Amino acid sequence: MADSDNDSGGAHNAGKGSEMSPREQDRFLPIANVSRIMKKALPANAKISKDAKETVQECVSEFISFITGEASDKCQREKRKTINGDDLLWAMTTLGFEDYVEPLKGYLQRFREMEGEKTVAARDKDAPPPTNATNSAYESPSYAAAPGGIMMHQGHVYGSAGFHQVAGGAIKGGPVYPGPGSNAGRPR
Amino acid sequence: MDHQGHSQNPSMGVVGSGAQLAYGSNPYQPGQITGPPGSVVTSVGTIQSTGQPAGAQLGQHQLAYQHIHQQQQHQLQQQLQQFWSSQYQEIEKVTDFKNHSLPLARIKKIMKADEDVRMISAEAPVIFARACEMFILELTLRSWNHTEENKRRTLQKNDIAAAITRTDIFDFLVDIVPREDLKDEVLASIPRGTMPVAGPADALPYCYMPPQHPSQVGAAGVIMGKPVMDPNMYAQQ
Repeated sequence: MADSDNDSGGAHNAGKGSEMSPREQDRFLPIANVSRIMKKALPANAKISKDAKETVQECVSEFISFITGEASDKCQREKRKTINGDDLLWAMTTLGFEDYVEPLKGYLQRFREMEGEKTVAARDKDAPPPTNATNSAYESPSYAAAPGGIMMHQGHVYGSAGFHQVAGGAIKGGPVYPGPGSNAGRPR
Repeated sequence: MDHQGHSQNPSMGVVGSGAQLAYGSNPYQPGQITGPPGSVVTSVGTIQSTGQPAGAQLGQHQLAYQHIHQQQQHQLQQQLQQFWSSQYQEIEKVTDFKNHSLPLARIKKIMKADEDVRMISAEAPVIFARACEMFILELTLRSWNHTEENKRRTLQKNDIAAAITRTDIFDFLVDIVPREDLKDEVLASIPRGTMPVAGPADALPYCYMPPQHPSQVGAAGVIMGKPVMDPNMYAQQ
C-alpha cells in the first residue's frame, strides 16, 4: 500500500515539467544564488537535487509575498503608501519569524546610517522622517524583546555592547537554552 | 557515492520518491511487500517467512526510534542555535550594502506582484535580501535533518516537504509542496521508523535463527545485484 502510493506520487512527479519559461523566472530569485546560500547550511560533501533547489526558489518567493502582504495590510490600516523596513520587521514578528527580527534590526539601523551619510535628500526620499525612525527604533526593541525566550536571551545588538552580548550568546551556543517551541516561533 | 548520486537522477525521473523509498526500506518487510519490481517482491516473500516481527520487537523498535529521533532533534536545535548566533556576528561585519547575495530588483518585483502593494522604500528589498538568506538557511538546515534521517547525502524535494510539515512557521508553504511529497512524509513515517533501528532489528533475527538468516541475506544480496546497495546493506547489518 505504502509503496503503491509512492509509485503513484513518483509518476506524478515524473509528469511535471521542471523547465520554467523566462517570464516565470521573474517570479523567483535566481537558482544560482539560492543554491549558493543552501550550500552554506550543508556539509561539504552534501549534494542538492535540482528539484530541491527549485522548490526552495518557490518557497522564498512565497516567503516574500507572505511578509509583504502582512506589511501592506498594516500600511493600509495606517493609511500610509510606502512599505518600509519597520513594516517588514513588524510583519515578521506577527507571522512567527521573531528569530529573524533581532539580527535584521541592527542591519536596518546600520543601513539607514549609511544612507544618511550619503545624501540627506536620498534619506528623506527613501526612509521615514528621523523622528518617526527614532520612535520606531525605541518602540520596536521593547516590543520585540518582550515575548520569546530567544529574544530575551539574545538581548539587543547595538554597538560594542551589542557585540559583547553576541559573543556571550555564541559562548552559550553549546547548551540549548530555548526549548523547541521557542525555536519554532510562536504566532502571536 | 558518486555512482549512487548518478543512479538517483534517472531513478527519480522514472519512479521518483517511490523508488527511493523502496531502496531505503529494502531490508524491511513493509517496503518490500509492496515493492514494484517482481524480483523484490519475490525476495520479500522469502524474508517474510523467516523474519516475522513480534510485538516485543515492535515495542523495542519504537523505543529505539524515539531515542534516535531525540538525538537528531537535539543536534538540530544545536545547529539552529549556532546558526542564529552566527547571524548576529555576520551582520555586524557588513559594511557594504551594495553587494547582496540576492538581487534587489528581483525582490522588488516579487513584492510588487501583490496588487495592493503601492510604494516600496529602498530599505525594504535590502532587509528582504538578508531575511531571505536566513530563511533559505533555516529551511535547508531543517531539510538536511530529514536527509540524514534517511541516511542519504543528497537533499531532495521530499526533505523540504518534511521540514515544512514539521515546522509551524512554515505552514504558509504547505500549498507549494505537492500532495505526493506530503504523502511521502506521512507514509514514510512507517519505514523510517524501522530504518534507524536497523541494528537491533537485524540482530534479533540472527539470535533467533542463526543458520538460516545468513543464507537468506546472501540470497537477497544476489537477487538485488546492485553494487550501490551492497555497502549499505552490509553497513546496516
